[in-house]
Amino acid sequence: MPTGSFSSRAYPIVRNGVLLWMTAVLLGAFLMDIPRLRILEHTARNLYFHVPMWFTLIAAVLVSAYHSFRALGARDPEPDVRAAEAARLAVFFGVLGLLTGMVWARFTWYLGSGLWWNFDPKQSMAAVQVLIYAGYFVLRSGIDEGPKRARIAAVYNLFAFSTVPFLLFVLPRQMESLHPGAEGNPAFSQITDPRMRLVFYPAVIGFIGLFWVLYSQRVRLALLRLRTGDESAW
Amino acid sequence: MDGISLWLHGAWAVFEKDVRLELRSRYAVNMLLLFVLSAVLLVLFAVSRESIGERVQAALLWIVVVYAAAVGLGQTFISEEERGTVLLLQLNARPSMVFAGKLLFNSLLTLGLNLVAFAAFLVLLGMTVKRPGLLALTLILGGLGLSGATTFLAAIIARTANRGPLLPVLLFPLLTPLLLSVVNATRLALTGGSWGEATDELLALVGFAGVVISAAVLLFDYVWND
Repeated sequence: MPTGSFSSRAYPIVRNGVLLWMTAVLLGAFLMDIPRLRILEHTARNLYFHVPMWFTLIAAVLVSAYHSFRALGARDPEPDVRAAEAARLAVFFGVLGLLTGMVWARFTWYLGSGLWWNFDPKQSMAAVQVLIYAGYFVLRSGIDEGPKRARIAAVYNLFAFSTVPFLLFVLPRQMESLHPGAEGNPAFSQITDPRMRLVFYPAVIGFIGLFWVLYSQRVRLALLRLRTGDESAW
Repeated sequence: MDGISLWLHGAWAVFEKDVRLELRSRYAVNMLLLFVLSAVLLVLFAVSRESIGERVQAALLWIVVVYAAAVGLGQTFISEEERGTVLLLQLNARPSMVFAGKLLFNSLLTLGLNLVAFAAFLVLLGMTVKRPGLLALTLILGGLGLSGATTFLAAIIARTANRGPLLPVLLFPLLTPLLLSVVNATRLALTGGSWGEATDELLALVGFAGVVISAAVLLFDYVWND
C-alpha cells in the first residue's frame, strides 16, 4: 500500500508539526497588530480563517477528483476511500467557509441591513459546490458497497468536477460581487497590508496541513474498518 | 462500412429504437406535456393578475423546464433497466453509440419541451419577445446543455437501488451555472437587449454544453459496462 499505510511513522511527526504550526498561526492571528480600517476594524482578522478555508476546499476537491480518477479502473477500495474522505472534508471546510463568510458579511457588507445572505455570486456558487458534494454522498448511500459503488461514485465526482471551473471561476467573475478581485474591486494582493501577509500565508499552509492530518487519519480508519469487516464486498 | 459510418449507424439505431418505443406508448411525451401545462397553470394561479417582470418570467420558464426535464428525461435509462434490456444493448452496441443515441433522443425531447413551455408562457402569461432569434438560440443551446447533463445523470441513477427522487437532487446543483446564463439570455431576448450584451451568456452556454457532453462521453463507458 502506498503512502499513508498503517505503519506510517511519519504520521505523528506531521500531526504534531501541524498542531504547533496552527497554534502559532492562531496566536499570530489574534495578537498581532493589524491596520484598522473603517467598518472592517478587527473583523479583518477573519481573513486568516475565511480565505484559507476556501484554499483548503479547492485542495480537497482536487485530491478527491484525483483519487476518483484512479478509482475508475481500480481493483481495490483504496482510491475510492480516499476520494470519499477528501470529498467529506471538502464539504466540512466548505460549510466552515460559508459560515465564516456569512458572519463576516453580516457585520461589514450588510451592516445595518440585517441581511445574512444576499446574492453574492462567490458565496452562492460556493454553496452550490457544497451541495454537489453532498449529492455525492447521497448517491453513495443509494448503492451497495463494492466495486460498482466505487466506480459510479467516481464517475459522478469527475462529472461534477468538470463543472467546478464554471462555479468557482467563470461565472463569479462575470457578475458583480463585493468580493475582492471582482469587477470594480481591487484584487486581494493590492489591498492587503504586508503585516497581514505574515500571518495569512502561514495560515493557508496550516489549514491545508490540518486538512491533510484529518484526511490521512480518516483514510487510515476507513481502510482498517474495511480490512477488519466481517464481510467485505471487495 | 468503415468505422465512422458504422458508429453513426449504431447510434442512429439506438435513437430509432427509442423513438419507435416512444411512439408506441407516448409515455414520455404525454407526461412532459401534462407536466409543463399543469406547472404553467400553477404559476398562473400563484401569480394571478399581478404583472411580473421579464427576469421573473424568464426564471419561472426555466424552473418549469428544468423540473420537467428532471422528471421526464430520467426514463430513458431507467426503462432499459426495468425492461431488462440493458444486457442486449451492451452486447449489440458500443457504449458511445448508446449514449449518442439517447442524447439525440433526449435533446429532441428537451427541444420540444422548451417549445411547449415557451408557447404556454407566451399565451397564458402574456409574454412578449423582442428578439426571437436570440430566444431561439438560447432555447437550443440551453436545451443541449440541459439534456447533456440530464442524460448522463440518468445513466448514473439507473445503476442505483432507489432510482426515483435521486435525479433532481443530483441534477439541480449541477445545473446552476446553466440556469444563470440561460435566464439572463432569455431576459435579454424578452427585453430586446443587443446580441453584444448576450455574447457572454451564449458563450457560457456553449462552454457548459461542450464541457458536460465531452465529460459525459469520456465517462460513459464506466457507467455502462459492469
